[in-house]
This record gives sequence, C-alpha cells and structure tokens, in this order.
Amino acid sequence: MLELRNIVKHWQAPGAAPRVLLDDLNLQVSSGETVAILGPSGGGKSTLLKIIAGLELADSGRVFCEGQDISALPAHLRRFALMFQDFALFPHLNVQDNVAFGLVEQGQSRSQARAQALAVLQRFGMADHAVGRVWQLSGGEQQRVALARALITRPRVLLLDEPFSALDAPLRASLRAEFAAHIASWPMAVVWVTHDEAEARAVGARGLELQAGVLQQRW
Amino acid sequence: MAKSRFGFPPRAGDWALACLPLVFLLAALIAPALRLLAEAADVGSSDAAWLAPLQDPYLRWRLLWSGLQAGITCGLVLLLGLPMAWVLARLEFAGRSGLLRALMLPFVVPTLVAAMGVLALAGPQGLWQRWGGASWQGTPYLLLYGNVFFNLCVLVRAATEALEQVSASRVAAARTLGATPWRAFWRIEWPAIAPWLMSALCLVFLYCFAGFGLALVLGGPGYATVEVEIYTLVAYELQINQAGVLAVWTLCLTAPCALAYAILERRLATPLRADRIARHKPQSTGQWLAVCLTVLMLGLVCAAPVLAIVARAVGAGAAAWAVLLEPDTLHALWNTLRFSASALVLATVLGVCHAMAAQRWALLRAIAFLPFVVSPVLVAFGLLLLYPAWAASAPLLVAAYALLAYPFIAKSLASALDGMPAHYMHAAASLGASPWRAFWRVRWPLLQPALRRGMAFAAATAVGEFAVTLFLSRPEWATLTTLIYEHLGRPGQTHYASALVLSCALMALAFGAFMLMEWPARDDPLNPSPHA
Repeated sequence: MLELRNIVKHWQAPGAAPRVLLDDLNLQVSSGETVAILGPSGGGKSTLLKIIAGLELADSGRVFCEGQDISALPAHLRRFALMFQDFALFPHLNVQDNVAFGLVEQGQSRSQARAQALAVLQRFGMADHAVGRVWQLSGGEQQRVALARALITRPRVLLLDEPFSALDAPLRASLRAEFAAHIASWPMAVVWVTHDEAEARAVGARGLELQAGVLQQRW
Repeated sequence: MAKSRFGFPPRAGDWALACLPLVFLLAALIAPALRLLAEAADVGSSDAAWLAPLQDPYLRWRLLWSGLQAGITCGLVLLLGLPMAWVLARLEFAGRSGLLRALMLPFVVPTLVAAMGVLALAGPQGLWQRWGGASWQGTPYLLLYGNVFFNLCVLVRAATEALEQVSASRVAAARTLGATPWRAFWRIEWPAIAPWLMSALCLVFLYCFAGFGLALVLGGPGYATVEVEIYTLVAYELQINQAGVLAVWTLCLTAPCALAYAILERRLATPLRADRIARHKPQSTGQWLAVCLTVLMLGLVCAAPVLAIVARAVGAGAAAWAVLLEPDTLHALWNTLRFSASALVLATVLGVCHAMAAQRWALLRAIAFLPFVVSPVLVAFGLLLLYPAWAASAPLLVAAYALLAYPFIAKSLASALDGMPAHYMHAAASLGASPWRAFWRVRWPLLQPALRRGMAFAAATAVGEFAVTLFLSRPEWATLTTLIYEHLGRPGQTHYASALVLSCALMALAFGAFMLMEWPARDDPLNPSPHA
C-alpha cells in the first residue's frame, strides 16, 4: 500500500552544519495496518510524515502508494490525511464546515458535504457542536473533530503526528481506544507517530523506532 | 535558489506577485530618489556645496533640531508609554479594550488636524491660555506635544503587544528561582520586549524626523524641521539644487534608522506565543492608581487636542459652520474622496501582492518600509523632478497617495501571514485542496480582518494626506487638508474659525472611513477572544 524507498533528508539549523535527519530510510505499510513510529523530539518523525504527505520534499528517495510512484505528486492529489499535534482546525469555519472541508475539495456541493459531515459528527458524538466555533471546544473535542475531518474523505493513508500530545493523561487513554475503534472501521494504512511508548504499543500492531535517521523494528 | 519557510522553491506566480510592487516602488520611489540625488550632484563636486548644510549655521540648526526633537520625542514616549503598556498588558479592568481601541485614534487623525488640535489647546488664544496658562507659541513644546500625540500610541501598542508575547512559563520559572516581580521583569520580560521597543522607537524617530505637517504648523520660524526647509526652498525660493542636497542629507541620516527598523521587524516576525501571562484585576491601591494614571495620561495626550478642536469649533458659532456648505468646501470634499478612493484601490492591490510575495523573500519585507523612510515631502519633490511633464496630473497624485498608504496594508497582511500557522495550509492540502483552493478557502478568509485593518489605516492616511497634495496638485484640486491650510494662512478670526470647522469635518471623514473598514475586522479568527 504505502512504501518509502531510500528516503534521505538533511536539515540545517541557521549557522550550523547540516545533519542527516532521515538516512536511507525504508518503510512499508499495508492497507488496514497501523504502524507506530517512536522516537525522540527533533528526531525527524514529523518531517517523515510531511514527506509522506507531500508537504515537504525528500533530498532523495521515492514514495510509492498502491504501486505508483507518487514522489512528485502534490499533497492535495495524494488522498492522504494528516492529523497535526495541535489539530490545525480552521478558526474561521465552524465545526461542521471544518469536517466538510475535504468533501468540498473533492467536488461535492456544500449542502451535501455538510449533511455528510453532520452524520460523521454524530458518530463521533459531536453533532451538538456542529455550528459551534472550534476555539470554543475542549482539547478532546477538538481532537475528535480533527479525526472526523481526516476520516470523512476516506483517505488511502492516515498520518497522525503526536495526536494526543496536547491532551492530559486520562483523556489521552479514553480517546486512544475511541480513535483505534474509528480507525479500524476504515480500510487504510495508518502511520501513527508518537514519543509515548505506551500509546505506541496500544495502537500499533507494529512498532518502529526512528533513531539516527533509520527505522528499527521494536515489536 | 530562494526557498520559502515552507521549503519549496518559488513558483512563477510568486515572481509575478513580487513584480507589481517592485516595479511600482522603482518608478514611484527609487527612481525619484535617484533623481533627487542627481539634482543634488548638479551643485558640483566641490565639498563646499555638499557640506553647506553643515557649515551654514541656519541649515545646521535645522538638521540638528530635526534630530533633537525626534530624539526627545523618543525619550518622552518611552518614559510615558512603557508603564501604560504594562498596565494594559497585565491588568484587567473595565474599559481596557476600549482604551486599546482608542489608542488607534491618533493614527486616524490627519496631521493637519492634529496640528490644529494642539494649537486650539495650547496655541495663542487656546483653551490652555484661556484657563490662565501661558501660550506655547514660539516654544518647542507645541511641536513636541504634537509629536507625542501621534507617537505615544505607537509605542504603547508595540509595548503592550510585546508584553503579551512574554512567555508565562519563563517568568514563572524565574519567580520559582527566587526572582522578585521587579527582578523577573528586568531579567526576563525586559530582554524579551526590548527588540519590540527598539523597533517602535525607530519608527517614532523616523516619523518625527521626516514629519512635515506638524512641523510646518507648530514649529514656527524657530523650530521648523528640515522637511519644512526643503519645502520652503522648493516652493518659495526655487533653490532646487540646495533642496536636493538637503534631501540627500535627510535620506542619509534616516537610512540607518530605517535599516534598523527593517531588521528588527524581520526578527519579530514569529508566530504568536501560546503561553501568555494571564491578566489579573488590580489587587492593590498602587495598581488601581496606575490604571487611573494611564487613563488620565491617555486623555491628556491623545484625546485633549481632538476635543479642543471640537470645543473651539462649536464655540465659534453657527456662522463659522456655514463654511461646510460653501462651493469650495464641497469641491474639496469631492477631491478628497475621489483621490483617496482611487489611491485605496491601488494601495490594496499593491499591499496584497507585496505581503504575499514577502513571505517568499525576506528582502521584500524590508523594502515594504521604504515609503516610511522617505518622507512625503521627498517623495513629492522627487516625483516632481523626475516626471515634470506629469506634474499636477491625477495619476501621479494618486500614485503618490498610494505609495504612502500601501505599506500599511502590506505590513498588516504580512504580520497576519506570519502569525498564521503554516499547518493550516498543510491541513488544507492534505484534505485535497490545491494551493489556489487552499489560499481561497483558508488563507484568504483568515486574512480578511488584517486586510480591512490595513485598508482602514491606508484610507485614513489618504484622506488626511497633506504634503504630497501641497506639492503635486493643481489649485482646482484642493482637498480638505489644503483648504484648511489655506484658511490658516489668511489673516482674521473668521478664517481661523473656518479652519477649525473644516478640521472637524476632515476628522469625521477620516474617522468614518477608518471605522467603515475596521469595524467588521473586530472578530479576528486568528486571534479569537476567549470570551466569544
């Protein structure tokens, strides 16, 4: 399904020598599989996700999806979804329009997209907040909206960048199970990046650790 | 090849966006400035001609006083403004947001109206004199008061914003490590806000040094600045070469300050901090006293001149208000509206292009401030020299207006773009939006409040423009500002009363234009109110 071949990425802080962030990295994720990637902060996990999503270019290497080389394909044409650490909900849109955003981009009419968004929000227990502003939601509610927005477009690959890092521990545990259930209901490859090993073991059938630019099997 | 902060090389569209403002700046600012330089070079290569402004005691005093009054103003606004900013940033009290909004008032008041306000308050026959005080006519205090009126709010707003950016956790860490509130301020908050203060002070210095309207009306023969001298040399003495030399000296003296401002602004262009220090209600008598003093000081400095104009105009009687219906006034009103509206359209196009392109090239961001560096007098003088055939033509006048107005739009949009998290666009792209669609559906709606705010300042600037109009317009193109100046130059109480009434009208017009555009910008999704 998703395959990364020989990805290399350098990073250079202003005034410092360049260092290798991703060093000849390879990865394969099948449809329906969730892979958890662990690693220290600043180790290149988020950069790896951005390269997969098409938001950043690798210095060398290729990205394949369903056997096709998509390395040069722009982000908006990949049909991947990326969830950000701080949710990246659009503050000028209400909850329902945030969720409907991707459907409108796929060419659906606004009314159709909104109706579908409302149905998904109901599944996530967020229908009461449909016309509310995103900044009025709690952290857990924002997280649910972000996941609903990511899943509604039926992405081929779901990328999660430390999705629970902004939440407190009890909420993190309850949401983890809820998220895992939602994700299991959609057939897609999932790459879940986190620095929390307990979270990684709970969600990932396979666990990898990104160290010195290389992925190593943990379980 | 240049890369943006998003890591992608510029596309053709980025180059196209950059071209429009660059060509405009080249034609309307850089080429005229070079023409000024050439005019000054015509005086010959002798050192004597170039050093004349330093050797002639009269011109030397003009240059020295220009720098001195700008420096004194910087000191005054820092001394008054920093404590006020602390009160506004750290304390929560009824009317606080109203005060913050009132701080924008001086930005909107046209220069000539501000000068009239200071005269109505502290000039000959002013309210201050009527209440038993001495007139400030013939002293430097009139000009300094006018400068502080305009620039106190620049510093207070910048310092308030800076104090709100200070990391709450860093201050908390300092306190837990044994720092008193004062030590925490000195060791943690002060280093964090110092670049913001320096940036604001650079701007204040530039505004004061290159100011024209205030210095022309309030400076008098003794305390006029170098800008007034250049205008006098061109308009009355026809000594173009000498004016050119003086203009080059002015440019050389303001350039380092402008460069420092551009560098500081670039450094401050970072996304807004999330862990801000929470405001609290005043908890001691001292803190309540600080709130009262802040309100009092803002009233004295920022509101008093405006209220003085209204009071004097109302006191002038119904006959004076008849000037509003005179054909000359209606004609001037029409000219003000049409020139300002045309300039606003051009300034908006230029400002949007410039701000978008500046996200790709840091240098472009610095260039946006060039019109702030070169004073309106120098702009008009340079345009007059470079395009003599177009002197007193409407397109040149509108271009000059737009040149002075569009940095407000570019700056406002550039700040909003800096504050906009990059991952909004990433999220839109990952949800299937093409770059154009992501711009149209995410970035553009989020920029609306900043655009309207920038346009509001640009409109207020255009409506109150004075120096350029004085240089470039025809007699039949008199605007409200030039009409006020005309009345002010004629002897007699009737004309002074007419100038006061017209000042009220101009102030209402500038304020109306500002509110019309700024009002819908109150609900900013990029910076939502926590109580919304």
